[in-house]
Amino acid sequence: MNEQSAPVGTVASHVGGHIHPPPDSFVKKYIFSLDHKVIAVQYFITGGLFFILAGLLAELMRAQLMGPNNHVLSVETYNEAYSVHGSAMVWLVIIPLLTGGFGNLVMPLQIGARDVAFPWLNMLSFWLFPPAGILLFASFLFGAPQAGWTEYPPISLQMPFGTSLWCLAIFLIGVSATITGLNFLVTIVKMRAPGMTYTRMPLFVWATGTTALLSMIATANLSAALAGLFIERTFGVPFYNVARGGAPVLWQHVFWFYSHPAVYIMILPAFGIVSEIIPTFVRRPIFGYKMIAYSSAAIGLLSFMVWAHHMFTSGLAHWEQLLFMALTMAIAIPTGIKIFSWVATLWGGKIRLDTPLLFVLGFLSTFTFGGITGIMLASVPADIHEHGTYFVVAHLHYVLFGGSVFGIFAGLYYWWPKMTGRLLDERLGKIHFWLMFTAFNATFLPMHWIGLLGMPRRVATYDPVYAGTNEFVSISAFVLGFSFLIFLYNALRSARHGEIAGPNPWGARTLEWMIPSPAPYYNFKDIPIVLSGPYEYGAPLPYANIRQDLATVPVH
Amino acid sequence: MILLGVISAALMYGVAVFPVDRYLPEASTVSLPIDWIFKFCAFFSVPILVYVNGLMLYFVVRYRHRPDEPMDAVGSPIHESRLLETVWTVIPALLLIALAVVSYLVIPLYYPTGQAAASAVTMEAIGHKFYFEFRYPGLTQSVMNEMHLPVGVPVTLDITSAEETTDVATGAVIHGFWIPEFRLKQDMIPGMVVPIHFTPREIGTFRIVCSEFCGLGHSHMWGTVVVQSKPDFDRWYAQQVQAGRSAAAGVAPINLAAGNAAAGQALFAAKCTLCHNAAPFAQRKVGPGLANLFHDPAHPRLVTGKPATPDNVVDILEHGAHGDMGVMPNMQANGLTAKDIANLVAYLKTLH
Repeated sequence: MNEQSAPVGTVASHVGGHIHPPPDSFVKKYIFSLDHKVIAVQYFITGGLFFILAGLLAELMRAQLMGPNNHVLSVETYNEAYSVHGSAMVWLVIIPLLTGGFGNLVMPLQIGARDVAFPWLNMLSFWLFPPAGILLFASFLFGAPQAGWTEYPPISLQMPFGTSLWCLAIFLIGVSATITGLNFLVTIVKMRAPGMTYTRMPLFVWATGTTALLSMIATANLSAALAGLFIERTFGVPFYNVARGGAPVLWQHVFWFYSHPAVYIMILPAFGIVSEIIPTFVRRPIFGYKMIAYSSAAIGLLSFMVWAHHMFTSGLAHWEQLLFMALTMAIAIPTGIKIFSWVATLWGGKIRLDTPLLFVLGFLSTFTFGGITGIMLASVPADIHEHGTYFVVAHLHYVLFGGSVFGIFAGLYYWWPKMTGRLLDERLGKIHFWLMFTAFNATFLPMHWIGLLGMPRRVATYDPVYAGTNEFVSISAFVLGFSFLIFLYNALRSARHGEIAGPNPWGARTLEWMIPSPAPYYNFKDIPIVLSGPYEYGAPLPYANIRQDLATVPVH
Repeated sequence: MILLGVISAALMYGVAVFPVDRYLPEASTVSLPIDWIFKFCAFFSVPILVYVNGLMLYFVVRYRHRPDEPMDAVGSPIHESRLLETVWTVIPALLLIALAVVSYLVIPLYYPTGQAAASAVTMEAIGHKFYFEFRYPGLTQSVMNEMHLPVGVPVTLDITSAEETTDVATGAVIHGFWIPEFRLKQDMIPGMVVPIHFTPREIGTFRIVCSEFCGLGHSHMWGTVVVQSKPDFDRWYAQQVQAGRSAAAGVAPINLAAGNAAAGQALFAAKCTLCHNAAPFAQRKVGPGLANLFHDPAHPRLVTGKPATPDNVVDILEHGAHGDMGVMPNMQANGLTAKDIANLVAYLKTLH
């Protein structure tokens, strides 16, 4: 037992001998569970199902766009497909998987807590999520929304009843995200193990904490915008209809005041995943811990001040354009710091190129590209040409797919053993990565080009001059869809044939790897004491009060 | 590092000399600085991309854990480098400041201010479902979907969106006014008039694309801008003045009997098929399928509530209509003459 320094920091309030026995009824154990690890799995399964549904919608869209005047889908159905695809990917897949899934699974373990601060609220957050998804997909029965995931009025005021269901669905998911944000923030502030100061927190916890703060503050604005749209659609109170005294641009301001921070809600946890995986597989301390941690906070703060860069063609005053351009460019600086620090961590390491690291390297490559097109979009005059085109479609997929989704898969391969006790197959994982990485770039890279040449987004038919590129993009998109089947097979296969992982298969040093896999019901029999930062490879483990027999298991 | 430098330099050279004009004409004066900004971004992005990807690959190969090394081998214990971190904070910051300054200088070029704007011709562009309307100074009627401009003459375009109804269900929505070859875009927003400023610099015909989703007809909402020499433009303008006068003098009555079904079929293909099929009612695109227009027992009445007779169809073709599927533009918007309408009705009668 290491007793070299006195523990500092917050002492978890319920540290002590009393540990409740796990619930014995099936319903309390697996359905209405209060256990953060079970809730995380519930998020993964539900979010995974929605990922499949929203992905199928994308494949339908690409089938329609295979030719310039296809009739695979009617124009209405096509519009519905892209609107529900975007809404589902943002609100039912990326945000719930990163925050609800990884946040729940990993964050309490990493801070040495036995659960989140409010387990019952955590259960409530999850159980708001499936109804929201069902409402969103049920909107297809009543004429689903057609105006994209942004649902700009006045056109969204003129759509059938499904758009009202969309409002309710997103409102519910917003309530869920707000509660989760509050819950996680309190957990991180109050329940860290003794000795875990803020600068000893793993970087995933930093990212989750910042995300929680953003969710808690920003989501309320989305709720306000949605309430306005729902009330205007249902009762005719004019918020957005100009003919009756409303203002359509009002929606854009309030919607983006949420949805730009939401971009960071969707990427910060992925940054956190990357920051965990890199030091583990490179076997050296992460380069510039403090800069990475503080840049998360800087991004969080700046993300509230850039929303109008989505509205450079919406008739903003010129000073507003200048202000939002400058602030948007400023946010590129902390993001750049992160990328450069990650690359620098690779320098001088002992690198093990396992699947989680492969996905992280893929992330670095695609996300950097997406970041750079983001700077091009931040410049007002360049944006005037690029706004509303396939260039934007390509950019957002490079950051949300190349960033968030690559991060999600990196995290899944990394924490799968902690969740299930078994490893995913490495060979299948590598095939999955290379196919997904290649097909991803083949799908979205050409979109930049056709966008710049004049193809607008949200069209079911297009000028035949773009036919060749679109055909190539569609075929790539089908291959991309296929690559996920490899993962699905790998995941199902691991249940029976996956290698037994042991507590710490990757030789990592954060607290979640200091307990058996899968994590036991109460996580830590004794609350660990933290003596220094988590990435000091080569030094003795910085924890007291942990089971040394587990912590010293050799790496595979 | 040197290899990456060479690759970067080669790519940066490629960016600098890339002939944008060959792929997408730079047809307005502001398109030149806008493309320059894009190249500026691309130019400095190339080394960042090359070094991030290149160093990543190099490190992964160079520092890979080898089988002969001990299992618990660890990498360098370096935690940070003040110098490196300062470098990669300051250099991007300087580049971004440069980009912001350049952008700041270009913005006033397409927003009308001062002298340039005062001397420009001011026109209006109005977005409708699903066509563009242009109003010229001195013309009594609007020009639909096809905007003519003289080359080299500065123009200020007041951009907005409107419909003739205040009904929510069919009211005005946001459209996007985008001429890719001019690198100009402005959302057409109901209740707001936003002026943009430009000078066409190449003769030719370019696309106007709707860049904001506006409903079922969005995919087909295209217009054209015809940039002409000054004499050609003056000729076109004189014709428009003449057409306005004869319209004011009254349109010739429509002689349905003289309708030619074959001519009507060609017109239908050219003007109507963006929104209508020659198929049963239910097979609609934007508006209903028109194959059974005069013989459909399920739909004996037209969108105006009147019986489906040739005269009432003529009324819709002439004056347009508002229905739950959207707006049927009037004959002016569709560019139809009285004779065209007779031909179209003759063709519609032949469909079953």
